[in-house]
Amino acid sequence: MNTPIAYDMLVIGSGPAGQKAAVEAARSGASVALIEKTRKLGGACVQRGTIPSKTLRENALRVRNMRMNAQLSNFKLAEDTELATLITRLNNVLNAHDEYMRKQLERTQVNLIHGRARFLSPQDVEVESVRGEKQTYSSGHILIATGSHPRKPPDIPVDHEHLFDSDSILSMMYLPKSLTVLGGGVIASEYASIFQALGVSVTMIDKYPHPLGFLDNDLTQTFLNDFTQMGGTWKGNTKVTRCYWNGMDAVITECDDGTEVRSEKLLCAAGRVANVKELEISNAGLQLNERGLIDVDDQLETQVRGIYAAGDVIGPPSLASASMEQGRRAACNSLEITSGVVHSVIPAGIYSIPELSSIGISETQAREKFGDVFVGVARFDEIARGQISGALNGMLKIVCDTDGKTILGIMIVGEGATELIHIGQMALINNSPVDIFVETVFNFPTLAEAYRAAALEIIHQRKINSSRS
Amino acid sequence: MTSAKVSPQPGAAALERAMEKLVNTGAIDVPMLPEVAGKVVRLAQDADSDAAELAKLIQSDQILAGHVMRVANSALYTPNASLVSLQQAIARLGMKLISEIALGASINSSLFNAPGYDDHIQYVIRHSLLSGLWAKEIARACRRNVEAAFLTGLLHDIGRPVATQAIITKAKKLEIPIQKPVLFALENQFQRTIGVKVVEQWEMPSTVVEVVRYFDDYNAAGEAKNQTMIACAGSLFASHFMCRPGDEGCMTRGELIGQAVLGDLDLYQDEVEEILEKEDVVKSAMEALSA
Ligand SMILES: Cc1cc2nc3c(=O)[nH]c(=O)nc-3n(C[C@H](O)[C@H](O)[C@H](O)COP(=O)(O)OP(=O)(O)OC[C@H]3O[C@@H](n4cnc5c(N)ncnc54)[C@H](O)[C@@H]3O)c2cc1C
Repeated sequence: MNTPIAYDMLVIGSGPAGQKAAVEAARSGASVALIEKTRKLGGACVQRGTIPSKTLRENALRVRNMRMNAQLSNFKLAEDTELATLITRLNNVLNAHDEYMRKQLERTQVNLIHGRARFLSPQDVEVESVRGEKQTYSSGHILIATGSHPRKPPDIPVDHEHLFDSDSILSMMYLPKSLTVLGGGVIASEYASIFQALGVSVTMIDKYPHPLGFLDNDLTQTFLNDFTQMGGTWKGNTKVTRCYWNGMDAVITECDDGTEVRSEKLLCAAGRVANVKELEISNAGLQLNERGLIDVDDQLETQVRGIYAAGDVIGPPSLASASMEQGRRAACNSLEITSGVVHSVIPAGIYSIPELSSIGISETQAREKFGDVFVGVARFDEIARGQISGALNGMLKIVCDTDGKTILGIMIVGEGATELIHIGQMALINNSPVDIFVETVFNFPTLAEAYRAAALEIIHQRKINSSRS
Repeated sequence: MTSAKVSPQPGAAALERAMEKLVNTGAIDVPMLPEVAGKVVRLAQDADSDAAELAKLIQSDQILAGHVMRVANSALYTPNASLVSLQQAIARLGMKLISEIALGASINSSLFNAPGYDDHIQYVIRHSLLSGLWAKEIARACRRNVEAAFLTGLLHDIGRPVATQAIITKAKKLEIPIQKPVLFALENQFQRTIGVKVVEQWEMPSTVVEVVRYFDDYNAAGEAKNQTMIACAGSLFASHFMCRPGDEGCMTRGELIGQAVLGDLDLYQDEVEEILEKEDVVKSAMEALSA
């Protein structure tokens, strides 16, 4: 082993978690090294996940809107549209992001090391450069932020040519005519609806009855209505028994109900597993839990003192937004810096078409936990702005405790959901009663008015209840 | 454009000037990609087309049909050589693969007329084919576009034989006797620009055009950078495997693994080793395709 170079903190992985952790630690005066195995910074979020998929989505929305306004434009995508033309400006966005991150790291004097890390002991990490040179670094404070990669079920022969995973789907050359999507989670729902909006004939298959099972059925049903109205097919309660490229012109997906789905390409979106293969965490005394993730306590510390983990390696919610905050908090906890008030309720954003977003607990969870809770629903087609902009297929739901005042959760489906949710988030974390949405004047006409309509429903129910008792 | 070191030969400078003019005016004689091959590539990209259509198209070119059948029946694809019809071959091997075979077969030395340089052209074509096959494996490992990798590998050097042919024709016209080193220097100088023209004229997808354009400087390739790096890496793999013991400038396995472009693709040395393990698969595909 070469002479180790010591740092106050080592961060492994430059995704949202690692990057925020490194900057936070360095700002407190610690000497920090950020180890990243790829040339580009930003992890799955920037390179293969969030940003590229959202760029495609932006164009999918444009295409869908043009189709919907048939009187204005008779729009049809060309037969052999290259996918790259639909992910416009991605390179500029990525380069700008990369440059911004590099500057921020430089400014805060984080030492960026390009190489692949593996543990030698709980304090020592060896980094191998892409050219094969090795150097050891040591620290009593190490953060694992190596993210995740797509789970590859053993019976799905992903070849990145006909059968893709979420890491490779955007490398397709042409927009396919048809696509089968295996899975009903966030990534599956996002890509399925984005491709459907682009005119690809999409079949989504999952073993559960509804996609996005952590949301209430009325929300997922709204999503499904939109998806099927666009021409998509949802096959719930269905198990895939076999899946293969027929060597000629189609990927064949055989299902347990005896049906066979043929498509030009297939996306396997069967969850994600922690990126630890190269990390050799056993040398640090760590192991994965049965879900293939690293366990941490509420301080984000692993079972080994001094080793923390944040982001996708620790599992749900597996969001860039959550990963950033976890990374920052892990750095604070590790170096004993006060991390400020930390709100544990964070929103989930699903950038499908239409969008979905939620914060707090769902109606189903609330009923299980508290019994007769209050629920107020506002449909976008009842809101002036929804009528004006044609965003009719949407709803906002507020769930309140049995007192009809305390907000437990908010769920929104429909365009703008991921932005709208923040109004509810502020009310929720400030413990404001649901009445705040009625006592406040919102711009008119806006979709935010849905808060008012949903809150009014709850207040109305509350009044009826109290007059009864 | 760097100037070729051709001055020692009388007339070489004049030839260089003539070539420059030819390239600048766009008057290069781009060989026709056999119509059938062009259609085959387009048909394979069209999800609505079917196997029967493809078979009919290939059948319209006897030589091509014969070649495709020979490859389809080779040990790699059909160990017991049992395919009797094109349609059967397509059903067994798939439209994409058949179109790769057809395109690979169409890019052959008969496209070019360069007397005295047949071996050179043959070598370039074999090298391109092998580059395409390796590029596919590299793309798979990087989770990048596997479909485009073969095409870009196959066509990245297409300017070379066209340049050779143009130089020979021009030299004949100007009555300048040409020596091999001069021809190769001029070929190096002009092949890239010519290559771009060829793939543009052949209406190849824009990625292919960009890869050919930026093959010598992938950092400038913008959005096509990754695909260009993959084609470069494919070409390096091909060079390594085509080098016979004793050849000058051969890259050892170690040197290949240490190539900058592989590092730029974020391929670590063990990952490159893993790609190299595909040697047998690539070799058999090569044997079959160049049958
Ligand atoms: C298709 C898709 C869409 C998504 N959309 C959204 C969205 O809209 N909103 C949202 O909030 N989230 C979204 N996500 C999730 C989000 O991308 C992840 O939650 C987030 O990137 C996780 O951050 P991280 O820092 O934990 O890991 P990552 O971003 O995965 O980064 C980990 C980094 O560690 C590096 N690394 C791994 N092993 C080593 C090693 N041994 N040595 C050195 N470096 C190593 C990797 O190269 C990588 O750069 C999406 C994900 C996908 C796949």
